[in-house]
Amino acid sequence: MRYNLMLAWHGLKRFPRSTILAVLTVAMGLAATMTTLALLHQLTADPLPGRSGHLYLAWVDTVRAKPVAIQSANGINPSNYHRIKLDDAEELLHEHRAMWQAAMTSVYTELAADDGAHPHVKHAYLLATTAEFQPMLGVGLRSGRSWTAAEDAARVPVAVIDEALAVELFGSIQAVGREIKIGSHRFQVIGVSAPFSPQPHFYDLSAMTFSGSQRDRAFVPLRALLDAGIDLAGNDGCDEDAPKKRTMFGTDAAHCAAVSYWVDLPSKAQANAFGDYLQRYAANQKSLAGLGKAPRSELTGVGAWLSKQNVVPDNVRLNAWLAGSFLLLCMANVAGLLAARFLRRGGEIGIRRALGAPRAAIFQQHVFEASMICLIGGLLAWPLTLFGLWTLRLQDGGFTDLARLDPSMFGALLALAVAVGLLTGWLPAWRASRVEPGLQVKSV
Amino acid sequence: MSLRIMFKMLRRHALMPTLVMLQVALACAILCNVLFLVWQRVQPMVAPSGLAEDELVLVDQIFSRTHTFSAAEAHAGQLALAHAPGVRSASSALGLPMIGMVMVDYTLKSPTGVTVGVNGYFGEGLVKTLGLQLVEGRDFLPSEYRDFGITQQSSEVDKSSSPEPVIITQSLERQLFNGKSAVGKNLSVTDDPEHGYFVIGVVRHLLRNQLSLASDGRADNTLLAAKRIGDSALLSYAVRVDPAMREVAMHGIRETVKRQFGAEMGDDAPVRIATYAETRHEALKSQRAALWLFAGVTIAVIVVTAIGIMGLTGFWVQRRTRQIGIQRALGARRSQVLRYFMLENLLIAGAGVVVGMALAYVANGLLMHYYELPHLPWTYLPIGGAVVLLLGQLAVLAPARRAAEVPPVVATRAI
Repeated sequence: MRYNLMLAWHGLKRFPRSTILAVLTVAMGLAATMTTLALLHQLTADPLPGRSGHLYLAWVDTVRAKPVAIQSANGINPSNYHRIKLDDAEELLHEHRAMWQAAMTSVYTELAADDGAHPHVKHAYLLATTAEFQPMLGVGLRSGRSWTAAEDAARVPVAVIDEALAVELFGSIQAVGREIKIGSHRFQVIGVSAPFSPQPHFYDLSAMTFSGSQRDRAFVPLRALLDAGIDLAGNDGCDEDAPKKRTMFGTDAAHCAAVSYWVDLPSKAQANAFGDYLQRYAANQKSLAGLGKAPRSELTGVGAWLSKQNVVPDNVRLNAWLAGSFLLLCMANVAGLLAARFLRRGGEIGIRRALGAPRAAIFQQHVFEASMICLIGGLLAWPLTLFGLWTLRLQDGGFTDLARLDPSMFGALLALAVAVGLLTGWLPAWRASRVEPGLQVKSV
Repeated sequence: MSLRIMFKMLRRHALMPTLVMLQVALACAILCNVLFLVWQRVQPMVAPSGLAEDELVLVDQIFSRTHTFSAAEAHAGQLALAHAPGVRSASSALGLPMIGMVMVDYTLKSPTGVTVGVNGYFGEGLVKTLGLQLVEGRDFLPSEYRDFGITQQSSEVDKSSSPEPVIITQSLERQLFNGKSAVGKNLSVTDDPEHGYFVIGVVRHLLRNQLSLASDGRADNTLLAAKRIGDSALLSYAVRVDPAMREVAMHGIRETVKRQFGAEMGDDAPVRIATYAETRHEALKSQRAALWLFAGVTIAVIVVTAIGIMGLTGFWVQRRTRQIGIQRALGARRSQVLRYFMLENLLIAGAGVVVGMALAYVANGLLMHYYELPHLPWTYLPIGGAVVLLLGQLAVLAPARRAAEVPPVVATRAI
């Protein structure tokens, strides 16, 4: 085998021009494929490793309105982020059937640090939520604490802000005890958190998906935020008997489905039980009688939710397919180049065979040679892939800054290179091993 | 030499032709699909907008979190902008060309039952401000405009029972009325069948702002409704300026927006004031990026395929040097040898193209199943096929020439 490896190495050096051509072709195909796959890998990665497996979005349909079937020939559909009304969220929170649970929604608003002389004003996303968000989502606290359910109920205006925001507003991360003004109220900072930016922003996709440089930079109690006169951003439908809207984009949280309700259910059995409980909850809504709606509820895991909302842009997958077929073309090309060079040395092969080398040895030698070419191509594809990802990052698609190559994808690149080598080398090597010794030796 | 002998040759040494065929098939399948994707992206870029592009300035995202602009404020803004220096006219509008933030969605239905998805633009005097070209009928009368805003949207306000006047494009007229004049005809929308519309005018072109749908003859699926902007949380304006005074006008518009709305918007307001050309450049950014990508793929595919064909045919020629020499010695002319190799390539590539076209069709079908992708029209198949065949002929030229140069004397050596 070592002898075959050595022969393969010599073979490589014998026709440097065609070797270089084959290596370049393989490198191009591999780089194109790996660029698209690396992006896809990042986009489909688990947003909260270790936690997302037992997080579920709970939804009950209690909006007092007839189900409307809007059919747009332009493919514009009314938003459906499985949000629920605030009252239902509070009812579910009160009954507390899951291990952890929190209602939440991201709001883009103005935050002001009021230290008298120089008010720092920031526009940022913040997460309006309830007490258990912190242990449920695993938001890290740098200092201070998060708020309690009692503070939620008492509508105490407190806030947890992330350290970057603390620095921007107060000049240091020692922000506990300071105050920020949101809407008409002053919120006391009781905790400073580590930046929390799972990709995608799965817990409220209506605000953002792959958020780029955006993230929720503060966490405040939902009720206290509503008290401060801040409107929630959007909704999935409002009661028909709701009072007149105040603003075009603001949402009346009492009458509109506007908050996402996430629960943590560690076991499958708990998830099933909670699903049944939700369905019973929906069925028991007396106010829905007469609207002709069947009781509807749903409990959706993180992965299922992301695929349902189709968060990975279609063209990323499309490009991966395109790159994959390009790699196939490159493989066919290299197979051709290899076949040509193997058969060109038919004489040598004939002599080796005539001297007693079995077909398997010839086959092995040539498969090695093909694999070496593809492995070198794989190594060359590495910088090319980095370059490809860099050009992707230059484009502004909201998610393209995720285009990076992590070590596991580098390993995948090398594995792919070897697999490609074996596959492309197989046919030409087989052909080479079929060379008839007699005929070849005669013509040398 | 007859085709029969050629086939025999190819069959006996099947590896090389098979590999060439495989490459050609793959290249053909990729190119057909890429050409199609390219055309999908190019269409919105080349569609005529119907606007007075040189004179148009778009003001967008005048936005206040704390308060809703009243109809009077929206109108005051329109007046102030219209009186800015260098400005010819201004319209407070909902939905603007090349701005996808706000899209008005209609599913129009003609009396004969044809339904078409359409984007709408609302605003007073838009025909004049956008510089649209009326080819039939008339513009809206000032008395025909109805306020459109939050108060008007809520169910408390009765919708006027009389049908609402609209202006449509020539393309819509063709689609909905089969080429007959649309003026005076009625239309309805599918999700509110009671409310009627009637066409009072037809403009030559007006590009829709849902750019992802501005392809395959749908670019002009646009209508203007007789709606004046009422109370709204978000204002945008179309402003038509004197092109000779554009700099002055831009400055004036900026100042006016600041004066009218600066207090509500705060310092880091997202308001955007840009010429049509700038807005278009921004809006088509992703299309351009995709085109660069597809151009790269096309070039890579062509280069790789050409190298592959050249390499394999070169080897093929080298192998048969002696054979060619015999043929030449027996009286075959150079041009005949050349033609032989060209024809052989045409046969192999032709077989590859047939496989490739089938492959392209199947691949498109699969992709269409999983992703939002339109159907690959069959016309792309012969186009892609022809490109690959031509590529094959060009690639085989050099090795075939080399074959033709083989001197007859080779035949006499070393047999």
